[in-house]
Amino acid sequence: MRDIAIKITDMNKFYGKFHVLKGINLTVSKGERIVICGPSGSGKSTLIRCINRLEEHQQGSINVLGTELDDNVGHIDAIRREVGMVFQHFNLFPHLTVLENLTLAPMLARKISQAEAEKTAMKYLDRVRIPEQAAKFPGELSGGQQQRVAIARALCMAPEILLFDEPTSALDPEMISEVLDVMVSLAKDGMTMVCVTHEMGFARQVADRVIFMDQGEIVEQGPPADFFGAPQNPRTQKFLNQILSH
Amino acid sequence: MTSLSTPLPFDPSRKPSLRKRFFSRPMDTVISLIGLSIAAWVLWHLLTWAVLNAVWTSPDGTSDVCRDIKGACWAVINTRWRLILFGLFPYEEQWRSTLACLAIVIVAILSCVPKFWTAPRLGLLWIAGFATFYTLMAGGVFGLKATAPSDWGGLTLTVFIYAAGMLIGMPTAIALALMRRSDLPLIAKTTGLFIDTIRSLPLITILFTAALVFPLALPQMLIGDKIWRVIIGFALFFAAYEAENIRSGIQALPAGQEEAARALGLTYWQRTTRVILPQAFRNALPPTINQFVISFKETSLIVIIGFFEVMASGKAAYGSGDWAFAWVEVYVFVAMIYFVFVFSLSRYGAYLERRLRVGKH
Amino acid sequence: MLSIFASRKARRFVAQAAFLAVIVLVIGGAVYQARQNIAAQGMTSGFEFLTRATGFDIGFKLIDYTPYSSYGRLIVVGLLNTLFLGILGIILANVVGLIIAILRTARNETLNILGTVYIEIFRNIPMILQAVFWYALLTQLPPPKQALQGFGLFLSSRGLYLPGLNVTGGSAAVFFLCLFVALIALTIFATSRRFSRVPAARRGLIRWAIAAIGCGLGAVALYLGRIPDTSLLSLPELRGFNIRDGIRVSPEFVALLVAMAIYGGAYIAEIIRAGFLSVGKGQVEAAQSLGLTPWQVFSRVRLPLAFRAVLPTLINQYVWLFKATTLGIAVGYTDFFAVISVSINQAGQTLELIGILMLGFLVINNSIAFVLNRVNKAIALKGNQLRS
Repeated sequence: MRDIAIKITDMNKFYGKFHVLKGINLTVSKGERIVICGPSGSGKSTLIRCINRLEEHQQGSINVLGTELDDNVGHIDAIRREVGMVFQHFNLFPHLTVLENLTLAPMLARKISQAEAEKTAMKYLDRVRIPEQAAKFPGELSGGQQQRVAIARALCMAPEILLFDEPTSALDPEMISEVLDVMVSLAKDGMTMVCVTHEMGFARQVADRVIFMDQGEIVEQGPPADFFGAPQNPRTQKFLNQILSH
Repeated sequence: MTSLSTPLPFDPSRKPSLRKRFFSRPMDTVISLIGLSIAAWVLWHLLTWAVLNAVWTSPDGTSDVCRDIKGACWAVINTRWRLILFGLFPYEEQWRSTLACLAIVIVAILSCVPKFWTAPRLGLLWIAGFATFYTLMAGGVFGLKATAPSDWGGLTLTVFIYAAGMLIGMPTAIALALMRRSDLPLIAKTTGLFIDTIRSLPLITILFTAALVFPLALPQMLIGDKIWRVIIGFALFFAAYEAENIRSGIQALPAGQEEAARALGLTYWQRTTRVILPQAFRNALPPTINQFVISFKETSLIVIIGFFEVMASGKAAYGSGDWAFAWVEVYVFVAMIYFVFVFSLSRYGAYLERRLRVGKH
Repeated sequence: MLSIFASRKARRFVAQAAFLAVIVLVIGGAVYQARQNIAAQGMTSGFEFLTRATGFDIGFKLIDYTPYSSYGRLIVVGLLNTLFLGILGIILANVVGLIIAILRTARNETLNILGTVYIEIFRNIPMILQAVFWYALLTQLPPPKQALQGFGLFLSSRGLYLPGLNVTGGSAAVFFLCLFVALIALTIFATSRRFSRVPAARRGLIRWAIAAIGCGLGAVALYLGRIPDTSLLSLPELRGFNIRDGIRVSPEFVALLVAMAIYGGAYIAEIIRAGFLSVGKGQVEAAQSLGLTPWQVFSRVRLPLAFRAVLPTLINQYVWLFKATTLGIAVGYTDFFAVISVSINQAGQTLELIGILMLGFLVINNSIAFVLNRVNKAIALKGNQLRS
């Protein structure tokens, strides 16, 4: 049995009276690549934001890399160091250069020396193929470049798990592929990934498991071949018809 | 300075129970308890001083009743409020002051009703209100005894200078804004210089100059009463700041508005009064209300020019004799007067801001 | 003939010519009339009065001044008083504003309420009323013999007494000058593009070096300026009916300073709070998800971004606070304006003195705006591809 990265048991989340996540059960093994898809409002972003405690769950349990996710600040900080997140709107720090964006957290949260942090940063900038932008500010880069910097920033913390919250939804079409290429190469290197996205091509190519969510519950999940080839649930079928028809 | 009472966006998940808001984490509980106990201690002392141990009236009109008490001596207000509100206006005529101030307050409240938000209606409303005020105060007609502005004092004087200043200042502001945006470079630059110079000077300097320097540079017949010069100084200062607000409002309009109006064949005046200004004012409404609020607070500065406005009349009320020890109560009373006016105005401004923002998108 | 006016160019020319004519007429008329009035009242014009002795003393002075000093020196004293009060007032208002802003944006709602109450109370009462109130309070304090004491300070109706240094006024001025120059040098070094390529390790070193040199030179100046036969530290103590030694801060100054700090602080708190609210939620979340502690998120992300957002508004506020020092005349503090108005009373020469007054304020305001605008440009967010 491979190691468990994330184990969510019977998780429920409410916004006031609104039941936004219903009875979620999910286990992610180390090295597994999960893609979550579904119509808007289905709670998929909320689900992954619960994993690094950007949102709080009211019932059930979330266990990340062996640590239980609760109000304990020590637990939360420990989990956040090991779980990286890439946002839809990049969220780079506009007042720092690209290099400073990448070295800030390793220096402060992992207490790594500046020289080492910069070395690691340049290595990952190479990895995402924009080493020459190190001294620029985020405002001077294109959307695709900014998102690649954001991925590099998450990688500099050497996380065990990477969460992606619709990473290409805010990009102009011609820049989507450069970001997807980076994500594919990360997957090939064995990173545990949980990715919310509408890019079904990416799911087919890379995912070990595709999960369909609708109205706060996990409706269906399975390997891409089964998921796309023979969806069982009528809601899944309806959704796939809508997004795959063009 | 901009009005910045922006409300936080409403997120339904963020209105937790009372317990969660004040006591969710142990640290929070400690801070809440400390804060609450400090607040309670302060409030308790305030309450005992201002209400429980206070003396409210003085049956014999002297200050003996207030000697050696541990609370506030509100009797000073009770005996001297006429001085504070009306200055040295003759006793029998003080009902005129009350009515006059009431007229202005009513006009101000009516200005907040959207029904009045067209230029002719607003203009008429304010001119009517101000004319009522002036006739009531100055008298000389309708069998009212004549008085000169130098006899006016207290809160009434403050209201007078404020209303007159705004009445003159607002049209001036519009004129200055339009002149600064003119495409005749001489007019635009000169006006710009004028506005920037006035904005970089303190109000006291301008009032002082108006009161003392203008008489030197004006022919004898134009000099007039000191009060009118001060009002003009006050109005100019307001106009300079308000002109910048209006100018920002105009600049925030999409360029297409002016172009469309031009294409339709409207003249400059038609464009400006029917298309540009109404929209610009909608944009500029929050900073404008803020400017009104600030100007009301700034009327207090005329005490330095020697006018017997509400702060000076307050000082005279406790004076150096009988009631001299009651200066705290008098200042608190004057502060409360200002607080009521300023707070209501700024709350209204915040309400307007919210309303306008909801309307946008 | 009237067809001339049909041409737009002609119209523009005529309009501007008419405008110019009106302005020239008004200003010319004013000047002419002023000349007439001044001659009629027997006053002289010109600036020679600046060298005349004033014949009166004033309360608060930072440099030497006696009734034998000239009007020119009096004006300089007033100017220094205004600068001193203005700078100190702005610094204190910032401190107060930061504290209240933190209260208002804290997560604990009790603190929020405390902050809101503070702002509503002190923003809605005119500053002059607050200054007069504090002044009345301070003059009602017990006389020096029964002064309130604590931590080496004395508080009495004659003012606040602080421990001071026994040095000449000149060396104290040089000390502040050294600190000021060091501060300017640090700002230039931090914000100028020329120095942005210096490697980080060296930067820290250079910053410390500048600060050390500044403080060192200042300390040397103080040491050289010691008044002989006295100890360096001058502590206030009660002797007879008065408190001797130490530095006396007059009640007028304290009243105005307190009013500036409290009133200005209320406005600055709102400005800072708006700045914090404008920081995108996304940036904060990104910082949190990287594992930074709340303090690190605050100091490295929220604070710098909020600061950049509010600097222009803060600049306006500082200019306003400087102008507010003119309230000194209401409490008896001899600031620049008060000095000018007293001079007008004593020496006549109204027009020249008003001219000096306006020039002084124009220079002060434009300098503040100039310096801070440079800082603003240097730290502004670069590029235009940002999505929040």
